[in-house]
Amino acid sequence: MAAQAPVKKKRKGILGALALAAIVVGLYWSLVVAPPDAYQGEVQRIMYLHLPSILTAYLSYFLVFIGSGMYLWKREKRDDILAHSAAEIGVLFTALTIIEGSIWGRTTWGVWWTWDARLTLTAILLLIYVGYLMLRSLIEDEDRAAVAGAVLGIIGFLDIPLIHMSVYWWRTLHQPPSILRPDKAPWENVHPTMLTALVISFIGFLLLYFYLLSLRYGLGETRAQIRARRLEQES
Amino acid sequence: MGPWGFVGLAYGIVWGAIVIYLFSLKRRYQDAQTELARVESREAITSHVKT
Amino acid sequence: MELLRQTSLLLRKDLLLEWRRRDSLLTMFFFGALLLFVFHFSFDIEPDRVAAMTPALLWLSFLFTGTLGLTQIFQPERENHCLDALLMSPLDRGAFFLAKSGFNLLLMIVVEIVVIPLFWILFNLPSWNLLPQLFLVNLLGTTGFCVLGTIMSAITLRARARELLLPLVLFPLMIPVILATIRCMENIMRVGALGDAVPWLRLLIGFDVIFLTVGVLIFDWVIES
Repeated sequence: MAAQAPVKKKRKGILGALALAAIVVGLYWSLVVAPPDAYQGEVQRIMYLHLPSILTAYLSYFLVFIGSGMYLWKREKRDDILAHSAAEIGVLFTALTIIEGSIWGRTTWGVWWTWDARLTLTAILLLIYVGYLMLRSLIEDEDRAAVAGAVLGIIGFLDIPLIHMSVYWWRTLHQPPSILRPDKAPWENVHPTMLTALVISFIGFLLLYFYLLSLRYGLGETRAQIRARRLEQES
Repeated sequence: MGPWGFVGLAYGIVWGAIVIYLFSLKRRYQDAQTELARVESREAITSHVKT
Repeated sequence: MELLRQTSLLLRKDLLLEWRRRDSLLTMFFFGALLLFVFHFSFDIEPDRVAAMTPALLWLSFLFTGTLGLTQIFQPERENHCLDALLMSPLDRGAFFLAKSGFNLLLMIVVEIVVIPLFWILFNLPSWNLLPQLFLVNLLGTTGFCVLGTIMSAITLRARARELLLPLVLFPLMIPVILATIRCMENIMRVGALGDAVPWLRLLIGFDVIFLTVGVLIFDWVIES
Protein backbone atom coordinates (compact mmCIF):
# COMPACT_ATOMS: atom_id res chain seq x y z
CA MET A 1 0.00 0.00 0.00
CA ALA A 2 2.78 2.45 0.89
CA ALA A 3 4.65 1.70 -2.31
CA GLN A 4 1.75 2.82 -4.50
CA ALA A 5 1.43 6.19 -2.86
CA PRO A 6 4.38 8.03 -4.52
CA VAL A 7 3.36 6.86 -8.01
CA LYS A 8 -0.24 7.88 -7.49
CA LYS A 9 0.82 11.18 -6.07
CA LYS A 10 3.05 11.85 -9.05
CA ARG A 11 0.25 11.04 -11.50
CA LYS A 12 -2.12 13.30 -9.65
CA GLY A 13 0.49 16.02 -9.66
CA ILE A 14 0.90 15.79 -13.42
CA LEU A 15 -2.85 15.91 -13.89
CA GLY A 16 -3.02 18.95 -11.69
CA ALA A 17 -0.26 20.69 -13.58
CA LEU A 18 -1.92 19.95 -16.92
CA ALA A 19 -5.20 21.25 -15.60
CA LEU A 20 -3.58 24.43 -14.40
CA ALA A 21 -1.89 24.98 -17.77
CA ALA A 22 -5.13 24.45 -19.69
CA ILE A 23 -7.00 26.73 -17.32
CA VAL A 24 -4.47 29.54 -17.67
CA VAL A 25 -4.48 29.27 -21.45
CA GLY A 26 -8.26 29.12 -21.37
CA LEU A 27 -8.44 32.24 -19.23
CA TYR A 28 -6.22 34.07 -21.62
CA TRP A 29 -8.37 33.09 -24.60
CA SER A 30 -11.62 33.80 -22.77
CA LEU A 31 -10.68 37.18 -21.39
CA VAL A 32 -8.21 38.57 -23.91
CA VAL A 33 -8.25 36.86 -27.28
CA ALA A 34 -11.96 36.26 -27.80
CA PRO A 35 -13.82 39.38 -28.86
CA PRO A 36 -16.77 40.76 -26.92
CA ASP A 37 -20.16 39.60 -28.09
CA ALA A 38 -21.93 41.78 -30.65
CA TYR A 39 -25.11 41.97 -28.54
CA GLN A 40 -24.07 41.42 -24.93
CA GLY A 41 -20.63 42.94 -24.86
CA GLU A 42 -18.02 41.82 -22.39
CA VAL A 43 -20.40 40.04 -20.01
CA GLN A 44 -20.88 37.30 -22.55
CA ARG A 45 -17.46 36.05 -21.44
CA ILE A 46 -19.20 34.46 -18.49
CA MET A 47 -20.27 31.81 -20.96
CA TYR A 48 -16.72 30.44 -20.96
CA LEU A 49 -17.30 29.55 -17.32
CA HIS A 50 -20.94 28.70 -17.49
CA LEU A 51 -21.04 26.11 -20.23
CA PRO A 52 -17.99 24.11 -19.09
CA SER A 53 -19.13 24.08 -15.46
CA ILE A 54 -22.63 22.81 -16.16
CA LEU A 55 -21.33 20.18 -18.59
CA THR A 56 -18.81 19.02 -16.01
CA ALA A 57 -21.57 18.83 -13.43
CA TYR A 58 -23.61 16.61 -15.75
CA LEU A 59 -20.60 14.39 -16.29
CA SER A 60 -20.20 14.16 -12.56
CA TYR A 61 -23.80 13.08 -12.03
CA PHE A 62 -23.38 10.49 -14.73
CA LEU A 63 -20.41 9.13 -12.79
CA VAL A 64 -22.58 9.07 -9.65
CA PHE A 65 -25.07 6.99 -11.61
CA ILE A 66 -22.43 4.58 -12.88
CA GLY A 67 -20.75 4.28 -9.49
CA SER A 68 -24.10 3.74 -7.78
CA GLY A 69 -25.15 1.06 -10.24
CA MET A 70 -21.83 -0.76 -10.00
CA TYR A 71 -21.90 -0.60 -6.23
CA LEU A 72 -25.37 -2.09 -5.97
CA TRP A 73 -24.31 -4.81 -8.36
CA LYS A 74 -20.82 -5.74 -7.22
CA ARG A 75 -20.61 -4.15 -3.76
CA GLU A 76 -17.03 -3.03 -4.24
CA LYS A 77 -16.17 -0.11 -1.99
CA ARG A 78 -14.30 1.70 -4.75
CA ASP A 79 -17.50 2.23 -6.75
CA ASP A 80 -19.16 3.77 -3.74
CA ILE A 81 -16.19 6.06 -3.16
CA LEU A 82 -16.41 7.13 -6.80
CA ALA A 83 -20.12 7.90 -6.51
CA HIS A 84 -19.74 9.87 -3.31
CA SER A 85 -16.77 11.84 -4.63
CA ALA A 86 -18.47 12.61 -7.92
CA ALA A 87 -21.58 13.81 -6.08
CA GLU A 88 -19.61 16.18 -3.88
CA ILE A 89 -17.72 17.76 -6.77
CA GLY A 90 -20.87 17.79 -8.88
CA VAL A 91 -22.61 19.84 -6.20
CA LEU A 92 -19.72 22.29 -6.19
CA PHE A 93 -19.84 22.79 -9.95
CA THR A 94 -23.63 23.01 -9.97
CA ALA A 95 -23.59 25.69 -7.30
CA LEU A 96 -20.99 27.60 -9.29
CA THR A 97 -23.10 27.24 -12.43
CA ILE A 98 -26.06 28.79 -10.65
CA ILE A 99 -23.96 31.68 -9.38
CA GLU A 100 -22.54 32.29 -12.85
CA GLY A 101 -26.00 32.04 -14.39
CA SER A 102 -27.36 34.45 -11.84
CA ILE A 103 -24.65 37.04 -12.48
CA TRP A 104 -25.08 36.63 -16.23
CA GLY A 105 -28.81 37.05 -15.86
CA ARG A 106 -28.30 40.17 -13.77
CA THR A 107 -26.33 41.75 -16.60
CA THR A 108 -28.61 40.73 -19.44
CA TRP A 109 -32.04 40.82 -17.83
CA GLY A 110 -31.44 43.09 -14.87
CA VAL A 111 -32.54 40.52 -12.29
CA TRP A 112 -30.49 38.17 -10.09
CA TRP A 113 -32.97 35.35 -10.50
CA THR A 114 -35.60 34.29 -12.92
CA TRP A 115 -37.59 31.10 -13.11
CA ASP A 116 -36.57 30.29 -16.63
CA ALA A 117 -35.98 26.69 -17.58
CA ARG A 118 -32.17 26.63 -17.38
CA LEU A 119 -31.76 28.24 -13.98
CA THR A 120 -34.69 26.33 -12.50
CA LEU A 121 -33.34 23.02 -13.76
CA THR A 122 -29.89 23.72 -12.39
CA ALA A 123 -31.39 24.61 -9.04
CA ILE A 124 -33.36 21.35 -8.97
CA LEU A 125 -30.21 19.43 -9.83
CA LEU A 126 -28.47 21.08 -6.93
CA LEU A 127 -31.30 20.15 -4.57
CA ILE A 128 -31.23 16.51 -5.64
CA TYR A 129 -27.54 16.01 -5.06
CA VAL A 130 -27.36 18.09 -1.94
CA GLY A 131 -30.05 15.70 -0.76
CA TYR A 132 -27.75 12.84 -1.73
CA LEU A 133 -24.91 14.25 0.36
CA MET A 134 -27.21 14.90 3.31
CA LEU A 135 -28.66 11.41 3.08
CA ARG A 136 -25.21 9.88 3.28
CA SER A 137 -24.08 12.01 6.16
CA LEU A 138 -27.23 11.38 8.20
CA ILE A 139 -27.02 7.59 8.11
CA GLU A 140 -24.73 6.28 10.82
CA ASP A 141 -23.76 2.95 9.35
CA GLU A 142 -21.36 3.43 6.48
CA ASP A 143 -22.56 0.43 4.48
CA ARG A 144 -26.23 1.36 4.79
CA ALA A 145 -25.36 4.89 3.80
CA ALA A 146 -23.61 3.57 0.73
CA VAL A 147 -26.63 1.50 -0.33
CA ALA A 148 -29.04 4.37 0.34
CA GLY A 149 -26.84 6.73 -1.63
CA ALA A 150 -26.57 4.29 -4.49
CA VAL A 151 -30.35 3.95 -4.78
CA LEU A 152 -30.79 7.71 -4.74
CA GLY A 153 -27.92 8.10 -7.20
CA ILE A 154 -29.66 5.84 -9.67
CA ILE A 155 -33.19 7.15 -9.22
CA GLY A 156 -32.07 10.76 -9.24
CA PHE A 157 -30.26 10.34 -12.53
CA LEU A 158 -33.17 8.49 -14.13
CA ASP A 159 -35.50 11.26 -13.07
CA ILE A 160 -33.38 14.01 -14.65
CA PRO A 161 -34.74 13.65 -18.21
CA LEU A 162 -38.30 13.70 -16.84
CA ILE A 163 -37.58 16.79 -14.77
CA HIS A 164 -35.92 18.37 -17.79
CA MET A 165 -38.95 17.75 -19.98
CA SER A 166 -41.49 18.91 -17.45
CA VAL A 167 -39.68 22.13 -16.56
CA TYR A 168 -39.07 23.02 -20.21
CA TRP A 169 -42.70 22.43 -21.17
CA TRP A 170 -43.81 24.44 -18.20
CA ARG A 171 -41.65 27.41 -19.10
CA THR A 172 -41.88 27.40 -22.87
CA LEU A 173 -45.63 27.08 -23.04
CA HIS A 174 -46.11 30.37 -21.28
CA GLN A 175 -43.11 32.49 -22.11
CA PRO A 176 -43.02 34.62 -25.21
CA PRO A 177 -40.20 33.43 -27.49
CA SER A 178 -38.74 36.89 -27.83
CA ILE A 179 -36.98 36.74 -24.46
CA LEU A 180 -33.30 36.39 -25.05
CA ARG A 181 -31.54 33.76 -23.02
CA PRO A 182 -27.81 33.88 -22.56
CA ASP A 183 -27.42 30.30 -23.72
CA LYS A 184 -29.46 30.95 -26.82
CA ALA A 185 -27.32 33.81 -28.04
CA PRO A 186 -27.47 34.12 -31.83
CA TRP A 187 -24.78 31.80 -33.10
CA GLU A 188 -24.62 33.10 -36.64
CA ASN A 189 -22.21 35.77 -35.45
CA VAL A 190 -19.87 33.41 -33.66
CA HIS A 191 -16.28 34.37 -34.00
CA PRO A 192 -14.02 31.32 -34.41
CA THR A 193 -11.87 32.48 -31.49
CA MET A 194 -14.93 32.31 -29.25
CA LEU A 195 -15.33 28.67 -30.09
CA THR A 196 -11.66 28.06 -29.40
CA ALA A 197 -11.91 29.86 -26.07
CA LEU A 198 -14.89 27.69 -25.18
CA VAL A 199 -13.12 24.46 -26.11
CA ILE A 200 -9.93 25.35 -24.25
CA SER A 201 -11.91 26.42 -21.18
CA PHE A 202 -13.85 23.19 -21.33
CA ILE A 203 -10.68 21.13 -21.53
CA GLY A 204 -9.30 23.05 -18.58
CA PHE A 205 -12.44 22.39 -16.55
CA LEU A 206 -12.44 18.73 -17.50
CA LEU A 207 -8.84 18.24 -16.43
CA LEU A 208 -9.49 20.18 -13.24
CA TYR A 209 -12.53 18.03 -12.57
CA PHE A 210 -10.59 14.80 -12.86
CA TYR A 211 -7.82 16.23 -10.71
CA LEU A 212 -10.31 17.17 -7.97
CA LEU A 213 -12.01 13.82 -8.37
CA SER A 214 -8.74 11.96 -7.92
CA LEU A 215 -8.01 13.92 -4.75
CA ARG A 216 -11.48 13.40 -3.34
CA TYR A 217 -11.29 9.72 -4.25
CA GLY A 218 -8.02 9.42 -2.37
CA LEU A 219 -9.70 10.95 0.65
CA GLY A 220 -12.52 8.44 0.39
CA GLU A 221 -10.05 5.58 0.05
CA THR A 222 -8.14 6.69 3.14
CA ARG A 223 -11.34 6.92 5.15
CA ALA A 224 -12.33 3.45 4.03
CA GLN A 225 -8.95 2.13 5.11
CA ILE A 226 -9.34 3.75 8.52
CA ARG A 227 -12.70 2.14 8.92
CA ALA A 228 -11.41 -1.25 7.82
CA ARG A 229 -8.52 -1.08 10.30
CA ARG A 230 -10.84 -0.07 13.11
CA LEU A 231 -13.20 -2.94 12.36
CA GLU A 232 -10.26 -5.37 12.36
CA GLN A 233 -9.07 -4.10 15.70
CA GLU A 234 -12.44 -4.42 17.30
CA SER A 235 -12.75 -8.06 16.31
CA MET B 1 -20.82 47.89 -11.75
CA GLY B 2 -19.51 47.90 -15.28
CA PRO B 3 -19.47 44.86 -17.55
CA TRP B 4 -15.90 43.95 -16.63
CA GLY B 5 -16.93 44.21 -13.00
CA PHE B 6 -19.51 41.50 -13.46
CA VAL B 7 -17.10 39.37 -15.43
CA GLY B 8 -14.56 39.80 -12.65
CA LEU B 9 -17.18 38.92 -10.06
CA ALA B 10 -18.14 35.71 -11.86
CA TYR B 11 -14.59 34.59 -12.58
CA GLY B 12 -13.47 35.62 -9.11
CA ILE B 13 -16.17 33.65 -7.31
CA VAL B 14 -15.68 30.57 -9.45
CA TRP B 15 -11.92 30.33 -9.21
CA GLY B 16 -11.93 31.45 -5.60
CA ALA B 17 -14.37 28.71 -4.69
CA ILE B 18 -12.38 26.10 -6.59
CA VAL B 19 -9.15 27.10 -4.85
CA ILE B 20 -10.87 26.99 -1.46
CA TYR B 21 -12.29 23.55 -2.24
CA LEU B 22 -8.85 22.38 -3.34
CA PHE B 23 -7.31 23.45 -0.07
CA SER B 24 -10.21 21.92 1.86
CA LEU B 25 -9.60 18.61 0.08
CA LYS B 26 -5.91 18.67 0.81
CA ARG B 27 -6.45 19.45 4.46
CA ARG B 28 -9.08 16.73 4.87
CA TYR B 29 -6.74 14.30 3.16
CA GLN B 30 -3.88 15.19 5.51
CA ASP B 31 -6.15 14.75 8.50
CA ALA B 32 -7.30 11.38 7.23
CA GLN B 33 -3.73 10.22 6.56
CA THR B 34 -2.73 11.22 10.08
CA GLU B 35 -5.68 9.34 11.46
CA LEU B 36 -4.81 6.28 9.37
CA ALA B 37 -1.23 6.31 10.61
CA ARG B 38 -2.48 6.57 14.16
CA VAL B 39 -4.84 3.64 13.74
CA GLU B 40 -2.20 1.54 12.01
CA SER B 41 0.43 2.23 14.67
CA ARG B 42 -2.05 1.24 17.36
CA GLU B 43 -2.56 -2.00 15.49
CA ALA B 44 1.21 -2.55 15.31
CA ILE B 45 1.55 -1.96 19.03
CA THR B 46 -1.27 -4.29 20.03
CA SER B 47 -0.09 -7.07 17.72
CA HIS B 48 3.40 -6.63 19.08
CA VAL B 49 2.06 -6.94 22.59
CA LYS B 50 0.20 -10.13 21.72
CA THR B 51 3.31 -11.92 20.43
CA MET C 1 -48.58 -14.41 -11.13
CA GLU C 2 -46.58 -15.17 -8.05
CA LEU C 3 -45.54 -11.55 -7.58
CA LEU C 4 -49.11 -10.33 -7.52
CA ARG C 5 -50.21 -13.08 -5.18
CA GLN C 6 -47.52 -12.21 -2.67
CA THR C 7 -48.29 -8.53 -3.08
CA SER C 8 -51.95 -9.01 -2.29
CA LEU C 9 -51.05 -11.13 0.74
CA LEU C 10 -48.84 -8.43 2.19
CA LEU C 11 -51.31 -5.72 1.23
CA ARG C 12 -54.14 -7.49 3.02
CA LYS C 13 -52.01 -7.75 6.14
CA ASP C 14 -51.32 -4.01 6.16
CA LEU C 15 -54.92 -3.12 5.41
CA LEU C 16 -56.10 -5.37 8.23
CA LEU C 17 -53.69 -3.73 10.66
CA GLU C 18 -54.78 -0.30 9.56
CA TRP C 19 -58.47 -1.15 9.71
CA ARG C 20 -58.14 -2.24 13.30
CA ARG C 21 -56.58 0.97 14.53
CA ARG C 22 -57.05 3.46 11.69
CA ASP C 23 -54.16 5.55 13.05
CA SER C 24 -52.58 6.62 9.82
CA LEU C 25 -55.80 7.10 7.95
CA LEU C 26 -57.43 9.38 10.48
CA THR C 27 -54.30 11.43 11.07
CA MET C 28 -53.77 11.89 7.35
CA PHE C 29 -57.35 12.86 6.76
CA PHE C 30 -57.51 15.45 9.50
CA PHE C 31 -54.13 16.83 8.57
CA GLY C 32 -55.21 17.20 4.94
CA ALA C 33 -58.41 18.98 5.96
CA LEU C 34 -56.53 21.17 8.41
CA LEU C 35 -54.16 22.30 5.68
CA LEU C 36 -57.10 23.50 3.62
CA PHE C 37 -58.12 25.74 6.49
CA VAL C 38 -54.59 27.02 6.91
CA PHE C 39 -54.38 27.75 3.19
CA HIS C 40 -57.59 29.71 3.30
CA PHE C 41 -56.27 31.94 6.07
CA SER C 42 -52.82 32.26 4.54
CA PHE C 43 -53.79 32.96 0.96
CA ASP C 44 -56.98 34.89 1.63
CA ILE C 45 -58.54 33.17 -1.32
CA GLU C 46 -61.10 35.22 -3.14
CA PRO C 47 -64.04 33.47 -4.80
CA ASP C 48 -63.02 34.44 -8.31
CA ARG C 49 -59.54 33.05 -7.86
CA VAL C 50 -60.43 29.80 -6.16
CA ALA C 51 -60.90 27.69 -9.28
CA ALA C 52 -57.50 28.72 -10.62
CA MET C 53 -55.74 27.92 -7.36
CA THR C 54 -57.58 24.68 -6.61
CA PRO C 55 -55.15 22.19 -8.20
CA ALA C 56 -52.15 23.76 -6.49
CA LEU C 57 -53.81 23.98 -3.10
CA LEU C 58 -55.06 20.43 -3.27
CA TRP C 59 -51.67 19.12 -4.26
CA LEU C 60 -49.83 21.04 -1.57
CA SER C 61 -52.19 19.48 0.89
CA PHE C 62 -51.73 16.00 -0.56
CA LEU C 63 -47.95 16.29 -0.68
CA PHE C 64 -47.67 17.07 2.99
CA THR C 65 -50.34 14.61 3.99
CA GLY C 66 -48.75 11.93 1.86
CA THR C 67 -45.34 12.56 3.34
CA LEU C 68 -46.88 12.09 6.75
CA GLY C 69 -48.17 8.71 5.62
CA LEU C 70 -44.83 7.76 4.12
CA THR C 71 -42.94 8.26 7.34
CA GLN C 72 -45.30 5.78 8.99
CA ILE C 73 -45.22 3.22 6.26
CA PHE C 74 -42.62 0.88 7.68
CA GLN C 75 -43.58 1.42 11.28
CA PRO C 76 -45.36 -1.94 11.70
CA GLU C 77 -42.27 -3.76 10.46
CA ARG C 78 -39.89 -1.92 12.71
CA GLU C 79 -41.56 -3.21 15.80
CA ASN C 80 -40.70 -6.67 17.11
CA HIS C 81 -38.13 -7.33 14.41
CA CYS C 82 -40.87 -7.99 11.89
CA LEU C 83 -38.66 -6.59 9.17
CA ASP C 84 -35.99 -9.18 9.77
CA ALA C 85 -38.60 -11.92 9.73
CA LEU C 86 -39.99 -10.65 6.46
CA LEU C 87 -36.56 -10.43 4.90
CA MET C 88 -35.69 -13.96 5.92
CA SER C 89 -38.88 -15.30 4.39
CA PRO C 90 -38.85 -16.32 0.71
CA LEU C 91 -41.10 -13.43 -0.18
CA ASP C 92 -40.10 -11.47 -3.25
CA ARG C 93 -38.86 -8.01 -2.21
CA GLY C 94 -40.62 -6.61 -5.23
CA ALA C 95 -43.90 -7.81 -3.78
CA PHE C 96 -43.02 -6.07 -0.52
CA PHE C 97 -42.46 -2.86 -2.46
CA LEU C 98 -45.72 -3.15 -4.40
CA ALA C 99 -47.65 -3.92 -1.24
CA LYS C 100 -46.24 -0.95 0.65
CA SER C 101 -46.75 1.48 -2.22
CA GLY C 102 -50.19 0.07 -2.81
CA PHE C 103 -51.06 0.45 0.84
CA ASN C 104 -49.99 4.07 0.93
CA LEU C 105 -51.80 4.67 -2.34
CA LEU C 106 -55.03 3.25 -0.94
CA LEU C 107 -54.74 5.42 2.17
CA MET C 108 -54.20 8.48 0.04
CA ILE C 109 -57.08 7.64 -2.25
CA VAL C 110 -59.41 7.40 0.71
CA VAL C 111 -58.13 10.73 1.99
CA GLU C 112 -58.51 12.32 -1.44
CA ILE C 113 -62.03 10.99 -1.92
CA VAL C 114 -63.04 12.87 1.21
CA VAL C 115 -60.82 15.95 0.96
CA ILE C 116 -61.59 16.87 -2.65
CA PRO C 117 -65.37 17.11 -2.21
CA LEU C 118 -64.71 18.85 1.11
CA PHE C 119 -62.68 21.41 -0.80
CA TRP C 120 -65.55 21.88 -3.23
CA ILE C 121 -67.92 22.49 -0.34
CA LEU C 122 -65.64 24.81 1.62
CA PHE C 123 -64.81 26.99 -1.35
CA ASN C 124 -68.22 26.86 -3.02
CA LEU C 125 -67.04 25.47 -6.31
CA PRO C 126 -69.85 24.70 -8.75
CA SER C 127 -68.04 22.28 -11.02
CA TRP C 128 -69.02 18.99 -9.36
CA ASN C 129 -69.30 17.30 -12.73
CA LEU C 130 -65.54 17.55 -13.22
CA LEU C 131 -64.71 15.49 -10.15
CA PRO C 132 -64.42 12.08 -11.88
CA GLN C 133 -61.85 13.39 -14.34
CA LEU C 134 -60.00 15.16 -11.58
CA PHE C 135 -59.96 12.02 -9.45
CA LEU C 136 -58.44 10.05 -12.29
CA VAL C 137 -55.66 12.55 -12.83
CA ASN C 138 -55.08 12.70 -9.11
CA LEU C 139 -54.88 8.93 -8.98
CA LEU C 140 -52.06 8.92 -11.50
CA GLY C 141 -50.22 11.65 -9.68
CA THR C 142 -50.70 10.02 -6.31
CA THR C 143 -49.41 6.73 -7.73
CA GLY C 144 -46.20 8.42 -8.77
CA PHE C 145 -45.91 9.96 -5.34
CA CYS C 146 -46.48 6.68 -3.52
CA VAL C 147 -44.13 4.69 -5.72
CA LEU C 148 -41.19 7.06 -5.42
CA GLY C 149 -42.07 7.90 -1.85
CA THR C 150 -41.99 4.28 -0.74
CA ILE C 151 -38.49 3.86 -2.14
CA MET C 152 -37.32 7.05 -0.46
CA SER C 153 -39.00 6.08 2.78
CA ALA C 154 -37.19 2.77 2.74
CA ILE C 155 -33.74 4.22 2.14
CA THR C 156 -34.15 6.90 4.81
CA LEU C 157 -35.40 4.36 7.33
CA ARG C 158 -32.29 4.48 9.51
CA ALA C 159 -31.30 8.08 8.97
CA ARG C 160 -31.21 10.75 11.62
CA ALA C 161 -33.68 13.59 11.15
CA ARG C 162 -35.66 11.18 9.00
CA GLU C 163 -38.88 13.24 8.97
CA LEU C 164 -36.97 16.14 7.43
CA LEU C 165 -34.73 14.11 5.19
CA LEU C 166 -37.55 12.23 3.49
CA PRO C 167 -39.24 15.31 1.97
CA LEU C 168 -35.82 16.78 1.20
CA VAL C 169 -34.84 13.90 -1.04
CA LEU C 170 -38.34 13.16 -2.33
CA PHE C 171 -39.74 16.54 -3.37
CA PRO C 172 -37.19 17.53 -6.04
CA LEU C 173 -37.68 14.15 -7.69
CA MET C 174 -41.45 14.67 -7.60
CA ILE C 175 -41.38 17.81 -9.70
CA PRO C 176 -42.46 16.13 -12.95
CA VAL C 177 -45.46 14.62 -11.16
CA ILE C 178 -46.39 17.88 -9.49
CA LEU C 179 -46.14 19.87 -12.71
CA ALA C 180 -47.94 17.28 -14.82
CA THR C 181 -50.80 16.64 -12.39
CA ILE C 182 -51.46 20.29 -11.70
CA ARG C 183 -51.34 21.28 -15.38
CA CYS C 184 -53.82 18.51 -16.24
CA MET C 185 -56.11 19.54 -13.39
CA GLU C 186 -55.91 23.19 -14.43
CA ASN C 187 -57.03 22.37 -17.93
CA ILE C 188 -59.88 20.21 -16.67
CA MET C 189 -61.08 22.96 -14.39
CA ARG C 190 -60.72 25.64 -17.03
CA VAL C 191 -62.19 23.97 -20.10
CA GLY C 192 -63.73 20.76 -18.78
CA ALA C 193 -61.32 18.43 -20.57
CA LEU C 194 -57.61 17.74 -20.83
CA GLY C 195 -57.21 19.60 -24.08
CA ASP C 196 -53.60 20.46 -24.76
CA ALA C 197 -52.52 18.91 -21.47
CA VAL C 198 -52.43 15.44 -23.01
CA PRO C 199 -48.60 15.43 -23.25
CA TRP C 200 -48.55 16.10 -19.52
CA LEU C 201 -50.73 13.06 -18.97
CA ARG C 202 -48.36 10.95 -21.01
CA LEU C 203 -45.43 12.22 -18.98
CA LEU C 204 -47.28 11.33 -15.80
CA ILE C 205 -48.07 7.82 -16.95
CA GLY C 206 -44.50 7.40 -18.13
CA PHE C 207 -43.21 8.48 -14.75
CA ASP C 208 -45.45 6.01 -12.96
CA VAL C 209 -44.47 3.11 -15.19
CA ILE C 210 -40.75 3.85 -15.02
CA PHE C 211 -40.49 4.15 -11.29
CA LEU C 212 -42.89 1.32 -10.58
CA THR C 213 -40.57 -0.91 -12.61
CA VAL C 214 -37.43 0.52 -11.04
CA GLY C 215 -38.93 0.09 -7.60
CA VAL C 216 -39.77 -3.55 -8.11
CA LEU C 217 -36.32 -4.30 -9.50
CA ILE C 218 -34.33 -2.29 -7.02
CA PHE C 219 -36.15 -3.03 -3.80
CA ASP C 220 -34.03 -6.10 -3.14
CA TRP C 221 -31.12 -3.85 -2.37
CA VAL C 222 -33.08 -1.05 -0.76
CA ILE C 223 -34.61 -2.93 2.09
CA GLU C 224 -31.83 -5.20 3.26
CA SER C 225 -30.99 -2.56 5.79
